[in-house]
Amino acid sequence: MRPEALQHGPSLFGRLARRISFVLFIGAALLVSAAWYYAETAANKAYDRLLVGAALQMAESLSVEDGTLTARLPTSAFELLGLADRDRIFYRVVDTHGQTLTGYDDLKTPTPLERVQDPLSVEEGVYKGEPVRIAHATRILADPAVSGRAYIIVAQTNEARLALTRELTLRATILVLIMSLLAFAGAMLAIRYALQPVEQLGTEVRGRDPHDLTPVTVDVPRELDPFVSSINHFMGRLNERVDLLQRFIADAAHQIRTPLTALTAQIDLLGTGKLDKAGRQHFNRVKERTSELSRLTNQLLSHAMVIHRADSIQLEPISLVDVARRAYRVAIPVTVDPDIVISFEAPDDRPFVLGDAVSLREAIVNVIDNALRHGTDQRLEVRVRASGTQAFVEVEDDGPGIPPESWEKATQRFATSKSHEGSSGLGFAIAQEVANAHGGSLSFRARDEKGFTVVLSLPLYKGVAK
Amino acid sequence: MRILLVEDTHDVGEAIARRFEATGHAVDWETNGRDAAEIIDFTEYALIILDVMLPGMDGFEILKRIRKSGNAVPVLILTARSEIDDRVGALDLGADDYLVKPFDFRELEARARVLMRRHTGGEATNLIKCGDIAVDRGTRSVHVGKREVQLKRRELTLLEVLVARPGRVFSKDELLDQIFGFDEAANANAIELYIGRLRKKLEGAKAHIVTVRGLGYQLVPGDAP
Amino acid sequence: MIRISFVLMMLGFNAVQALAAENNKTLFPAVQPGAGTLTIYSTTDLVAIKPLIEDFQKSSPDVSIDYNEYLTNELNALASEACRNGEPLGDLLLSSSVDQLLKLANDGCAAAHTSPETLRVAEWANWRDEVFGFTYEPAVFVYNRSKVPPAEVPRTHVELADLLRERLDYYRGRVGTYDIRLSGIGYLLAFNDARQTTTVFGRLLESMARASAVARCCTGEILEEVAKGNLYIGYNMLGSYAYDAAQRHPELGVVVPRDYTLVLSRGALIPKGAQQADLGARFLDYLLSERGQSVARTNAFYFTESGELPPGVDGPQNLKESGVAQPIRIGPALLAVQDRAQRQRFIEDWSQSLIELNSPAWTRE
Repeated sequence: MRPEALQHGPSLFGRLARRISFVLFIGAALLVSAAWYYAETAANKAYDRLLVGAALQMAESLSVEDGTLTARLPTSAFELLGLADRDRIFYRVVDTHGQTLTGYDDLKTPTPLERVQDPLSVEEGVYKGEPVRIAHATRILADPAVSGRAYIIVAQTNEARLALTRELTLRATILVLIMSLLAFAGAMLAIRYALQPVEQLGTEVRGRDPHDLTPVTVDVPRELDPFVSSINHFMGRLNERVDLLQRFIADAAHQIRTPLTALTAQIDLLGTGKLDKAGRQHFNRVKERTSELSRLTNQLLSHAMVIHRADSIQLEPISLVDVARRAYRVAIPVTVDPDIVISFEAPDDRPFVLGDAVSLREAIVNVIDNALRHGTDQRLEVRVRASGTQAFVEVEDDGPGIPPESWEKATQRFATSKSHEGSSGLGFAIAQEVANAHGGSLSFRARDEKGFTVVLSLPLYKGVAK
Repeated sequence: MRILLVEDTHDVGEAIARRFEATGHAVDWETNGRDAAEIIDFTEYALIILDVMLPGMDGFEILKRIRKSGNAVPVLILTARSEIDDRVGALDLGADDYLVKPFDFRELEARARVLMRRHTGGEATNLIKCGDIAVDRGTRSVHVGKREVQLKRRELTLLEVLVARPGRVFSKDELLDQIFGFDEAANANAIELYIGRLRKKLEGAKAHIVTVRGLGYQLVPGDAP
Repeated sequence: MIRISFVLMMLGFNAVQALAAENNKTLFPAVQPGAGTLTIYSTTDLVAIKPLIEDFQKSSPDVSIDYNEYLTNELNALASEACRNGEPLGDLLLSSSVDQLLKLANDGCAAAHTSPETLRVAEWANWRDEVFGFTYEPAVFVYNRSKVPPAEVPRTHVELADLLRERLDYYRGRVGTYDIRLSGIGYLLAFNDARQTTTVFGRLLESMARASAVARCCTGEILEEVAKGNLYIGYNMLGSYAYDAAQRHPELGVVVPRDYTLVLSRGALIPKGAQQADLGARFLDYLLSERGQSVARTNAFYFTESGELPPGVDGPQNLKESGVAQPIRIGPALLAVQDRAQRQRFIEDWSQSLIELNSPAWTRE
């Protein structure tokens, strides 16, 4: 149940954010393009009116004087065009014979004048290498001397139109940008809000007691139901596995221990009375091996038990002194060598730790048992004490101890300090397993003049004990 | 004394029964939990040795029934179970002691003896002190300062005699009578052995045993010389 | 003289160029040659521009200046021709006839130039960052103090018209003005006079015609004749030249009209594709700079937009504040001035009323 191996894929939020910003970007680009298009149309419309107005004014100024067509181009027409203050102006006055009366001789409308239908139409064109808008006006003359159609062509460069288009587009773009940003921010908030149940579910699952394998019951949106039911399905299976393992260990314990007990009973019943010397020797071997087998069986089952309990039992505040005293009672056989001085020392204040009493007792029993079997010569002391944020159970004996170079090996399974005796070293392994599961540690204190000490350290419980 | 043994494994039951009968106890042996529970209701025992996995009714159930009915008989549980998912141990249910199978038969016998004696001499807390040595005659435990020291039965009896009258000199004969009774054959050397062990176990206490040459032993408060 | 110029114009521009080049070319060699030669084609009198060029060479000693002086129409013809052929004329054009420069710029013959100095130019005096006005010159009346009694000195256009009408015999043939057929600046001023108030201008023109007004190609000639006493009154003279002449000839009086005063800003333009456009820009920046303006005020053009009138000039205290000033805006409206049909028509009208009316008496030399 530890999260260290989780690989981080792209976040849901990131993916949504990317897509939304992509859509917003496309939308903004379309809007800006549209704004450009409309701005250009508007600018053209505005300035085209000036152009047409100027052309009409010029057409109005045509007159027939002394039998010739005369153009007195009004300054006001140019001033009108001059409202687009940076634009160059080209014009041409064409008389009834199609000859240029004044202006730029080579200026033409893109559509030949005779064919133009709409008298007010303005066209795109190029003059002197510059893109221009071209307007024209027609004046029908019915003078006896001069009759027919005279034309005015007026062209203007596009600078003012472009400037206006740019300005309008820029303003629209700023608006679009602001709207896009607002939309983006809104969308992000909405996504955050929408993703909250996922986070809540995560918090719920994360905040769960690791031993709690009951189904998750948190209200989630419909979309998350498959996810929740998957979690629950998975938890159900895990729970089954745990139950199965538990049953297996329980069965194994009973099924192995019972015949083993029967075996020791038979040995006990057999007695040594009727045996000769060699027979007694064999009988003693059988007895030794049987007790070794018993011990090993107990340790293996105990090991399985503490490992299982570490994953499934909820820790609660317990008095370390009570647990240690109980372990001390269990571990010291009544039949122990009476010459050994055995004592138990506890502080007046009862230190509490957050733990599993059964596992901790098992750990302490194993440490004491180990000391009795392999360490103690004349003296064994069990002490409980607390210091700072830690509580300690110390088991000190006056035996030779374990040399520091073997400490690491001592806590490994089936490592033994005295291999020739054939005893298994599961004791320390169990103790260490339990210590680790409680956030503590198993350590050794080198032998001094008093003795060798095995120390089980556990973090003190800070809360209020029940 | 009368002992009830509830054990469904035949050879285990037989071995236990034999061992206790050999030391002069009467053993009733039941293999069915329900039957055993009924017998307990109307028979008085000095000790009940109870297996956990039983046909009919399991050991814990029987134990709960005993304690519920106010019966204080000492109960020693024998268990082959793993405590893999136990929330409460046998001791929490009111057992006086328990042994995990397979066990050493001598250990079973010894623990049973402790339980029977504690029950018969079962007075309330009875604390006697000398210096920082405290002897609780109820729980039969000994403290030197904060340290609880494990004493054997006869060492404890010897210490009780000495602590009861600090400063008084007890002769070897007197102590022999107190510790072994009149029926047991023991010589004065045994007293010296126990005195030696006791001194070792009380090392560091603020009271010590003084040998009064030719007269006997006395317990004197204060540090050892 | 007029006739000769007129003929020359008809002969074609190349001949004009050849002839003029010999007479009107002045070289200002660099103090420390290096940056090359800046060629300026200008209509400004050498006397007026000299202090500016010399001061410019103080800050840019590496620039030689080739200064070519032309009449406005000549310069315009040369520049238009050069632009049509894609061979830019010089590196900087200076002309008092801004309408011609504007037409050149409209035809795409100008290069744009922006700098911190061009930003200082008033909006009415800048078109497309291509044509810049760099002076502020009112069109004034000049008179000879010994010929025109103080009581008769005209102070408005109407007064002038009335004076000519009342004292017709005295002033017959004694009033001079530009020949707008030859002088671009004369045409520009006349056209704008006509736009100001048609009735006043018509009256004035009629009065001048009756008084057999004399038309001359250039300001200098008229000023000289007024100073000598051949002419009594000069009409529509450029204030800068008039004031300069008045400095030298104390009998010359200068009047800034009080009804309205046309104000002309001499134009500058960098031809498109000029070889030394950077030098042209440098000199242009100098002209527009604080320093250049200050030199112009004291030594070259005397009048400024914001300051008071130079001492000794008869007119409103401050041109701008009095509201009399009518600056000729450098903008597309000048294209109307430059329209050839318009020009032809206007000159025809003008000639008819002023010259043909008096023919053949108008040549009085």
